[in-house]
Amino acid sequence: MSLEPIISVTDLYKTYVTDEVKVEALKGVCLDIARGDFFIITGRNGSGKSTLLHQLGLLDRPTSGALILNGQDVNTMSEKERAAIRVRELGYIFQEYALMAELTALENVMLPAMMTRPMAECRASAKDFLERVGVSHRMYNLPRQCSGGEQQKIAIARSLVNGPAVIFADEPTANLDSIAAQEIMKLFRSLNEDESHTIVMITHEQDETTYASKLLNLADGQVESNA
Amino acid sequence: MPEWRIPFFLIFRHLRRGSKWTLALIIFLMAIAFVNMVFASSLFNGIIATSNANVIETYAGNITIYPNAKDDFIARTDKELTKIRAVDGVKAATAHYQLPAASMKFKNIKSTFRLIAIDPSNEIQVTNISQKLISGRYLEANDSDGILLGAQVTGNEEAATRSFKGIKVGDIVKVTLQNNTEKNFIVRGIFYSNYIEADYQTFTTIKAMQDVAPYLRNQASSILVTVDTPGTEPKVIDGLKARGVNGDIHPWQDSAGLMKDVTKSFVSIDVILSLVATLIAAVTIFIVIFVDITDKRSQIGIMRALGVRPYLIHAVYVLQSVVYSVAGVLLGAAMFFGLLVPYFVSHPFALPMGNAHLVVNVGNFVLRAETILWVAIFSGLIPAVMVTRINMLDEIRGK
Ligand SMILES: Nc1ncnc2c1ncn2[C@@H]1O[C@H](COP(=O)(O)OP(=O)(O)OP(=O)(O)O)[C@@H](O)[C@H]1O
Ligand SMILES: [Mg+2]
Repeated sequence: MSLEPIISVTDLYKTYVTDEVKVEALKGVCLDIARGDFFIITGRNGSGKSTLLHQLGLLDRPTSGALILNGQDVNTMSEKERAAIRVRELGYIFQEYALMAELTALENVMLPAMMTRPMAECRASAKDFLERVGVSHRMYNLPRQCSGGEQQKIAIARSLVNGPAVIFADEPTANLDSIAAQEIMKLFRSLNEDESHTIVMITHEQDETTYASKLLNLADGQVESNA
Repeated sequence: MPEWRIPFFLIFRHLRRGSKWTLALIIFLMAIAFVNMVFASSLFNGIIATSNANVIETYAGNITIYPNAKDDFIARTDKELTKIRAVDGVKAATAHYQLPAASMKFKNIKSTFRLIAIDPSNEIQVTNISQKLISGRYLEANDSDGILLGAQVTGNEEAATRSFKGIKVGDIVKVTLQNNTEKNFIVRGIFYSNYIEADYQTFTTIKAMQDVAPYLRNQASSILVTVDTPGTEPKVIDGLKARGVNGDIHPWQDSAGLMKDVTKSFVSIDVILSLVATLIAAVTIFIVIFVDITDKRSQIGIMRALGVRPYLIHAVYVLQSVVYSVAGVLLGAAMFFGLLVPYFVSHPFALPMGNAHLVVNVGNFVLRAETILWVAIFSGLIPAVMVTRINMLDEIRGK
């Protein structure tokens, strides 16, 4: 593992301006995420966790501050370049499973791969990843035919299909029962430990923080503790 | 560019897995809009075509020659006919001798109609009145007292004021000319051309004319000419003039004066109806795509988050609109040619200018199909562009 962090953030500010109200969601956040980290962000509702994750995942642009991803200054990049990085290097898992309703599990997982790779290869690697997360029996089912836990696993397979450097997950277990939640967490741990994926995850569950290799606590848009 | 597979992939799944009923309904709506767009213009084309054909075939020929302004007749008619028939592109010609009928009387009904003397063997080569008899038979050249009546004259059709209601073949019509000469004519036949102007006429033979108005011999009131190829009228008219044909020469269009004004109104009605149909198609597609997009907003946001570029999302909806409109046009064309056209062939519109059915102008038809397609593409693209302009994260959260 290289010593250079995969994500490095300095003095990150994000201010939402809506009608006449200004919300300072992030106020000077500094952090480094190393390759292979299982980086968990916690904090109270409205503390800015999702906002931070969106900046790190190139889903949004900060108001100010530096964001270096894989040695590149991503803030100055065009939307096209950022989209290309999202496709190739980043994976996402959202709280709501966020699958395409009209695509089967297999097709959902194939979709990000189709941006860059030949069809047969997309299909093969989608199958591999569905197997890897343990839902290959749901391959030809539509999302609505799958349970919440299965859908979240399909979403994880989708996040993995392009071999991302970092996987972002915003409260991935919030809609699941405790058994399913535990399965998902174990899956993340094994992706992190066995396959050395870097994982950046937000959680509200106290017991999930034990999976973290690094834990960041946000309060009111600022880093309260970083261990 | 492997990413271009994505819109096709998505649209194919959408069509396969989406509601078939909704799909059928959308395509049906598009088909109706398309039929709406082509129906009025085809009907108007049909009316104009029928009316034109009737003007030519029952009334004016392709070319009508009248006396010069200073003359009452076309002098030396037979010589003129010979000259005319020798002109390139002329198929046949017939002379009309209008008798100066002051009045006609059937039983105690007194009225006035145009009475025209003809040479039947010439006439049948120019007009098709001989094929339009609803009772009796056509005139023969050696008939010295026969008369042929148009359906309007007999009152069979609607009610011409003071028509000879109830008149039949074999009945007698007493004709009084302006110089008070009288002659009894026997009704030989009644014709119904369905062209109102023609159906107000009555015909007799040149032989009968010689009885009452021998001075009219060789003094035609008009000559009707048919051409070999429709559309060559201007060329043939030039030929007639070059031959020195004596008279005032007009193409049939000049006899369709009323229809020319109607045609103008048809064009504006057609434009309005087509605009309405276009609007229906546009609104249909817009609503359908808008609803679909609204329904999938968070999914679209997710796709964008995954790195699917906006132009690919636009392409999904453009493709969807293309599918709807192409299927709509195909279904509409099938409905049009499979149902409406045959229906109007067996149940034509009966109009004073003739029986109209639907006549399709291919260029126009294709143009309207293209219009529907482009309108659909734009109406589908607009909501797609709108949705990709929204902040991606707001979309994912469904705001
Ligand atoms: N798009 C937005 N426009 C305006 N304000 C926003 C927007 N997104 C977030 N905020 C505000 O920014 C602050 C941080 O929000 P954020 O969603 O990052 O919090 P969070 O820590 O993820 O909360 P939760 O635990 O509820 O998910 C909140 O006060 C929120 O209201
Ligand atoms: Mg949040």
